[in-house]
Amino acid sequence: MSRRSESFRRSLGLAPLAWLAFAMYAVFLVYPLLYSVWQSFTNRSPLRLKPIFVGFDNYTEMFADDRFWMSLKLTLIVTVFVTVVSNVIGLLFAMLLNKNTANYRLMRTLVFIPQVLSGVIVGIIWNSMVTQNGLINVVIRNLGLGQGVGWVGTPELATMVVCIVVSWMTIAFCTVVYTASLQSVPAELYEAARVDGAGAISRFRNVTIPMIAPGVTISVTLCMITSLKLYDVLAVLTGGGPSNSTKSTAFYVIETAFSTNRFGYASAIAIFLLALTAVLSYITSGLLRRREAHL
Amino acid sequence: MTAIEDRPTTRAMLAQSSDAASRTAAREASNRVKRASRATLAWLATIVFVLPIYLAVSNTFKPRQEILDNPLGLPINPTLENLAKAWGRDDHLIQNGLLNSLLVTALTVVLIIPISSAVSFWISERTPKVKGVLLAIFALGLMIPPQVVLQPIIEILQVVHLDHSYPGLILQNVGGGLMSFAVFVYVGFLRTVPKEIIEAARVDGASEFRTWWAVVFPLVRPATATVGIFIGLWVWNDFLNPVYILGALQGQTITAGIYASLGTYSSDYGQLFGIMFLAALVPIVGYLATQREFIAGLMSGAAKG
Repeated sequence: MSRRSESFRRSLGLAPLAWLAFAMYAVFLVYPLLYSVWQSFTNRSPLRLKPIFVGFDNYTEMFADDRFWMSLKLTLIVTVFVTVVSNVIGLLFAMLLNKNTANYRLMRTLVFIPQVLSGVIVGIIWNSMVTQNGLINVVIRNLGLGQGVGWVGTPELATMVVCIVVSWMTIAFCTVVYTASLQSVPAELYEAARVDGAGAISRFRNVTIPMIAPGVTISVTLCMITSLKLYDVLAVLTGGGPSNSTKSTAFYVIETAFSTNRFGYASAIAIFLLALTAVLSYITSGLLRRREAHL
Repeated sequence: MTAIEDRPTTRAMLAQSSDAASRTAAREASNRVKRASRATLAWLATIVFVLPIYLAVSNTFKPRQEILDNPLGLPINPTLENLAKAWGRDDHLIQNGLLNSLLVTALTVVLIIPISSAVSFWISERTPKVKGVLLAIFALGLMIPPQVVLQPIIEILQVVHLDHSYPGLILQNVGGGLMSFAVFVYVGFLRTVPKEIIEAARVDGASEFRTWWAVVFPLVRPATATVGIFIGLWVWNDFLNPVYILGALQGQTITAGIYASLGTYSSDYGQLFGIMFLAALVPIVGYLATQREFIAGLMSGAAKG
């Protein structure tokens, strides 16, 4: 038997399984992606029999579309707020809770819970608090402090509420990552720094930060990607209102594709969102990785 | 000479040690204060943070009027009425939803684990160049917002008549971005598996399939735990795909089902909390049961991601 056919015989079984994986990935990820790119240059819609190639028309329309800019503004505000706030608070939380007694372990377990809840459940929990007749306003009325506030009644307040709610989920995630990172720092490093006369701030800057740098990279990148594709929390929490002020770009894609049935235009916005996600995560992870290597 | 010198030294030592003792006592007292204030601060922060969860849970067990009179307190007249109402709905939202979710989640996990671990083993045995290209292609799936591919996927499923069906939903779960995650976890873990073990199996004349199934697959069990836990959680919590791929007529997973029932019960917080409590129970219990693996998995993903 030649070596070639021998290796062919040996790889029987595993290779077909690998090809099955490639085939499924091609059908359900690569092809839909290419299809979406192609579609973004057409005026496809389920109502139209033959789509026409329209070149960059969808993209030009997108850049002139106020609804698109509004959604992008919201998406970027939420992304920056969530990424910064949840990483800072997550790290502080992790440092505060980083002790190995039963008491602290219980606190950690509680704090980690929001990250296993679905966006829909998080949306409902907070929605029940912030609506006009929600629990927060009920408390305000019961205390005789007035009629309460329409927390999601104005675009500005609603945007703020969205930022806080999304951060609530990602803070839990960041706290888990930072807790595990902190626990991987050898205690001798802190001892050595203390012997060298380093104060608390100096120890934080010169020992903690460099040692948890990989945790920073993953937390920042993940918070960013999560915020950029934000949809389900918004659908439940505010329904995108008031007056479309809390519709993210991902939300707008879904609405354009399934409510107004403009597949071509929806694809153009979706491809823009993908490009934005790719560029932003490439830049941040590049910057953060370089920092890791430096230290 | 020694005797003369000894005496003052001893006295000095004695004085010093009593001094040290009182200093130690003082330090201990201040440490205790520090410890207590840190614990207080930590509990305060934790309580504020989990207040929304407390509100949802405690109000699940209150009668309707009590929710409005006393939303913050513990239930004064604890009741299971809200849970009973949620469970006893005419449309069997909870029972059907839980069953559908269980089916979709279990089948997705059971299919994705062997397929993705086999392809990962196959990839990790290629030359570095081929491996790099393949991993770059799989990296796409980690980043793509699901909104980009959802509508094309529905059209593909229509072609093979699997639209609005559970097999369609499960197949696209297995082949989509989740597979990318699984491949990265497995390939990362395979780097830590000593080559000698695999070579030994080959020398014994085992086929590649057998090497993977009998040697590699048991070795990568921690990676399998990570893949199973996280993909299980994400599929269970998924909202977008079930809503649009299954559509309204085919029944719903629990996550999508709650959303569908939202409009009608927005004023009845009791029942809404009841539904939510029953829906959130499974992921929370699952998380508590696998907490150690959960965190280890997150960090292994973090180290490689």
